[in-house]
Amino acid sequence: MPMTRRALLAGASLLAFSTAVQARTYSGGIPWKAARSNPPEIFDPEARFFTPEERAFISAAVDRLIPADDFPSATESGVVTFLENQLSGAYGRGDIYYMKGPFRKGEPTQGYQSQAPGILYRQAIADINTLLKSEQNKSFTDLSPDEQDTFLMRLSEGKAELEHVDGKTFFDTFWQDTQLGFFGDPVHGGNRDMASWKMLGFPGARYDYREYVNHDGRKLSFEPVSVAGNFMKEAH
Amino acid sequence: MIHPNFPKAAIVAALTALPILPAHAVAQDKNTYSTIERGLYLTRAGDCAACHTSDPEKPYAGNYPLATPFGTIHSSNLTPDDATGLGKWTADDFYKAMNEGKRPDGSGLYPAFPYTHFTLVTREDSEAIFAYLKTLEPVSQKVEKPGFPFPLNERVVMKGWNALNFDDRKFTPVDGKSAEWNRGYYLAEGLGHCAMCHSPKNMLGAEENGAAAYTGGMAEGWFAPPLKAHGNAPGLSDWSKKDVSDYLKYGRNEQTAAFGPMADVISKSTRYLSDPDLEALAAYLTDLPNTQEKDNTKTGSTQEAASSDTGKLVYDTQCAACHGAQGEGVKLQFAKLAGSNIVQSDNPTTLLRVILEGTKAVPTAKYPTPHAMPAFNWKLKNDEVVAVANYVRNAFGNSAPAVSSSDVEKLRQGS
Repeated sequence: MPMTRRALLAGASLLAFSTAVQARTYSGGIPWKAARSNPPEIFDPEARFFTPEERAFISAAVDRLIPADDFPSATESGVVTFLENQLSGAYGRGDIYYMKGPFRKGEPTQGYQSQAPGILYRQAIADINTLLKSEQNKSFTDLSPDEQDTFLMRLSEGKAELEHVDGKTFFDTFWQDTQLGFFGDPVHGGNRDMASWKMLGFPGARYDYREYVNHDGRKLSFEPVSVAGNFMKEAH
Repeated sequence: MIHPNFPKAAIVAALTALPILPAHAVAQDKNTYSTIERGLYLTRAGDCAACHTSDPEKPYAGNYPLATPFGTIHSSNLTPDDATGLGKWTADDFYKAMNEGKRPDGSGLYPAFPYTHFTLVTREDSEAIFAYLKTLEPVSQKVEKPGFPFPLNERVVMKGWNALNFDDRKFTPVDGKSAEWNRGYYLAEGLGHCAMCHSPKNMLGAEENGAAAYTGGMAEGWFAPPLKAHGNAPGLSDWSKKDVSDYLKYGRNEQTAAFGPMADVISKSTRYLSDPDLEALAAYLTDLPNTQEKDNTKTGSTQEAASSDTGKLVYDTQCAACHGAQGEGVKLQFAKLAGSNIVQSDNPTTLLRVILEGTKAVPTAKYPTPHAMPAFNWKLKNDEVVAVANYVRNAFGNSAPAVSSSDVEKLRQGS
């Protein structure tokens, strides 16, 4: 077969490629060091974001959102500790959000559009107490549980006009954070004794269910497990 | 047949055809390619690099600090440097070191150098190793003096030690055993010096022989498990020859994967061995004289451990995903714990270190990406480590004495 110009060029480029690139076999693995690991950050029981007045508001409000029944209330479950940790950390500072301009009112479908959550909480609590003072000459903690429920309902429906922040945005954020504290892993400060997991029958941070694939929906009654361990019954 | 790669083919033939090469078979120029290549092979078989290569940039230049119960000793420079290495040594000097543990001036070497094993190495093999070492780049590397206390710092005490612990043996094939077995015997007892780690040591740091040989020993802070049934540990009694040769060649077999110091041995030494030599080692090591039957009687406390709620909870949630709900592991991937030698060893050091620190398998040609087990030191409290260790030691048909919280604490302090 006569060598065409095209074949010659193709061959030449292939040759250049194959001499420039040498086949290499890589062996080994991801870096590994004995006794080293990257454990989850464990909450600090002393972490404080709220002032005592703010903390009193938060404690009263979360226990209206999740009151005690057969299972512990939000405060008993450590939700306030969870919120103190979250708001004094990266979440409270809004580190996970783009926080620069332009500032326009976003659509609800655009997700969280407010200021850093720490500022939102602080401003909202102050505004709520200002509103309640002007309307009823009481702060939130002075209200009866029923009155507190009524006010929280009003907030959730967007019917409480706050001076600096959007009341519904605050309520939605606060309600979501409360649930995260109540149902999240105890490593973050809430869900003490994995009470909510026991309530749901959620097994926690286990990672292999092959044994139970053919369990046909029967109840497994697993002891829940945290990502940080804590397996000793007496330590609970 | 004319073979284009004659020298290599000759080596392969030399290595595979005869279990032990008689003297006349290698009566050739000691500097031929084949002798040097054979020397490299034997140097690897002896895992010389483990102690004599401290800096990978300076192979065999020594000065590797080896911690012993008596103090730290630094390995010799094996490169042919006149002032600091073997440059002025003769093949006779080298053979005397290998065979008698003596330096050219007659003073004794310390037995951190396994001359107690290398005494079995044939003159021919010793000369091939020496011929190979002579081809290395000379490296000027001073070696620190042994940090032994008086009187051990006087080399003359080695005379007494040798009188008690050194037997200047010659290799003689054992009658009634196959040529393969005898080749395995020569490699394991000689260059391979397996017993340096896998046998217990007496108060003088010498290996125990006889019934105690290969019943496991401490090495570099790890417990090298028994190679024959001892206490509750099965040794290699339930490993096939293929299990042994695969383990030494690939760092992995159907039972487990190598880690810790044995991973280094495989990486620097045994993975280079020829298949016939690996099979010979397997033939010998699976035929170590068993001095006892596996003890399956459980004491009350260990029975309790097997049903411990905490132990089972930790195992089911943390270990079972890889090691299997019934300790069955995943073949060629994750170690089987049921029937495991290390899990059931009387000395729990290695098991506990693995739980606390995690481990990493060794990359080999067949398995280039090794698995790693994560450390649990941050997650499990001492009592939880104890509970899960006792659980795996006594569940799945296993049995072994209970470990204690102080065993765990000691290792935590050490790591």
